[in-house]
Amino acid sequence: MLIESIIHYIYIALAGIFGIMLLVKVFKREKRQGIVYDIVYAYCCVPFLMRLLGIK
Amino acid sequence: MKKELVLKLLIVFVTFALATVAGVAFHEHRHFKETVVVSEDFTEMRWLSDYCPQLKDTFADTPIFVFDSGVEGGSVLYCGGTHPYEPAPALSAFVLMENIKVEKGVVYVIPQCNYSATTMGVQGNAYPSYYTVKTEWGEKQYKIGERNTNPLDQWPDNFTYIHYPSKQAQAYNDLRNLNRCYPGRLDGTLTERVAWAITEFIDKEEIDLSIDCHEASIMYPVVSTYIAHDRAMDIAMMAAMDLTATSFDMKIEQSPKSLRGFTHREWGDYTDTLGVLMETAEPFIDRIVGPMTVDLMMTGQDRFLSYAGDKGLTYAKYDKENNYSWPMNVRVGRHLSGASKVIYYMNQFFPEKEVIASWPSYEELVEHDCGAFLHNPETSNPDRVFSF
Repeated sequence: MLIESIIHYIYIALAGIFGIMLLVKVFKREKRQGIVYDIVYAYCCVPFLMRLLGIK
Repeated sequence: MKKELVLKLLIVFVTFALATVAGVAFHEHRHFKETVVVSEDFTEMRWLSDYCPQLKDTFADTPIFVFDSGVEGGSVLYCGGTHPYEPAPALSAFVLMENIKVEKGVVYVIPQCNYSATTMGVQGNAYPSYYTVKTEWGEKQYKIGERNTNPLDQWPDNFTYIHYPSKQAQAYNDLRNLNRCYPGRLDGTLTERVAWAITEFIDKEEIDLSIDCHEASIMYPVVSTYIAHDRAMDIAMMAAMDLTATSFDMKIEQSPKSLRGFTHREWGDYTDTLGVLMETAEPFIDRIVGPMTVDLMMTGQDRFLSYAGDKGLTYAKYDKENNYSWPMNVRVGRHLSGASKVIYYMNQFFPEKEVIASWPSYEELVEHDCGAFLHNPETSNPDRVFSF
């Protein structure tokens, strides 16, 4: 139970880190500068944000 | 440079605006409460956490409704919502609870066994989130849930799922499937704990007959079927023959011993109850159907499936005779009469376990539809209105 909870919280933390990382990448990245990738990065933030907020 | 920044900000804003719209819908679904007006024979409401305190204040805790006649006799458990993306079982439990009369013994009802799975829709298939039942006093809304426990409550999935205690390897995501986790374990995952609590409840209350209601796609062989534990085969076989002769087609299968985690297997192996699972037909979850709309959920009518029906590729009737449909009232009625019939034969085979209870039958549901049996919570006695 304790290990399960620890793993759960690690995953929640990772979701937050990846969400923030993707959001930063919308504004600042070296490769793939096109607008399509702006949309892709912004869109990919959503599931991480939802999980972090406990919505989906 | 400035123009580029504005464009990026605009993209982020639009994306998050869309996410907010979706997020509000997801949040509403997670917290939506269904309402029931229980019949006058209602005795008390318990919670699954009364049998497993670890479930208290979690999304896995779910109500148990008790209808006790006060006359000594047997006991029956009626379960809906093991797989909440199969809504007819839960609706049949609501219709049952609103109309039940008990003359002997006790009837327990758990309308949503895997409550956590009711708090989200099916991922990836564009399923509708709710359906409504028309009544004389307005429309009543119910939710369409998922098959498995909500990942918000049990996450991440393991890479493998080893069933306890058989050690049988199963599909990894079945670790969130309540009907693969029985008999469950107290120190397991949330779904295993729910399974343990229900098994513990059956064992502690010495329930004589436990009925688990499901729906199946009509291209799946185990549809319109009783699946019975070895000890319940006699009563289920008699009920299937009786129903097929007098009311509607019903098959019977024996619970396999080599496939673990099911209600019909583990309830019977780990408690003294007679375990029976019932499947009715739900075209909505067939693989080849067109748009998955509320209309398809309620009527079961689909153009693509009708081609398969005409070629005899379905395991449940789907032809001109039944208007290429499996409407909700038919599915609910089948569960209600299916349950009545196994109780009737339990009474015949085991008179010491006799339970005398009645609720609307298949024929009544076909004639009047589900809404005729649902009561208005606004005008009902508040002591008999429950939202959960």
